[in-house]
Amino acid sequence: MAQKEITVLTPQGRLDAAGARPLEAELKQYMAAGKIHLLIDLAGTRYISSNGLRALLAAQKQAKERGGALKLCCLSPRLVEIFEMSGFDRVFEIFDKREQAEESFE
Amino acid sequence: MVQKFSLTVDSQLEHLSEIADFVELAARESGLDDNKIYEVQMAVDEACANVIEHAYHGRKDGTIDIGCERRGKEFVVTIQDFGERFDPKKVARPRTRDPLSKRNIGGLGLFFMHKMMDKVHFEFSPGSGNRLTMIKKIK
Repeated sequence: MAQKEITVLTPQGRLDAAGARPLEAELKQYMAAGKIHLLIDLAGTRYISSNGLRALLAAQKQAKERGGALKLCCLSPRLVEIFEMSGFDRVFEIFDKREQAEESFE
Repeated sequence: MVQKFSLTVDSQLEHLSEIADFVELAARESGLDDNKIYEVQMAVDEACANVIEHAYHGRKDGTIDIGCERRGKEFVVTIQDFGERFDPKKVARPRTRDPLSKRNIGGLGLFFMHKMMDKVHFEFSPGSGNRLTMIKKIK
């Protein structure tokens, strides 16, 4: 079986209501181009708000509908806390390391 | 001496990071630790995003007044806007244990505000708009 093409995004800084918009637009573009195996590396993301979570959730739904997946890796402890608090840790596949996440797509 | 901090910004999402910096400064000066600063920052971020989205419906020329001060063992934040009434009762609570297919996408901002703060109180008056008061216990 051919290896899946994984698209990795590395949002930086704050994924607040302002920061979520460009990410949302980028995710839509990838999805429209048929890139449905998405990995969001959050190592450079120091904050995520409800808007950021919503953007990820919407993209996750679209990816799944098309037979793909959206996975996350490299969350800081604060981000882990936000995901757990909101129950989003059960919505996404979350990996500590990027390598593990990439391998999981195979 | 009671130190009060205030910031006024236009209702633009681009100001959210400036608001976060302001809250960090005020909270640090008031003696909050890093964890509590982060929690207050998040509550204020969610509140201001709500104001821009719901009270001003994305209008960019609305005013948001933010005030922070320490009162005894509490850190008090007030957020005033002059937009449409915000009724928290009309916001559905997110069902955080639901599977992906059933997840309600709204209400999460308000959920975080309550999680991060000890008290969240909304007031509205037709003359002066929405006034949100949020309190964080310092010790």
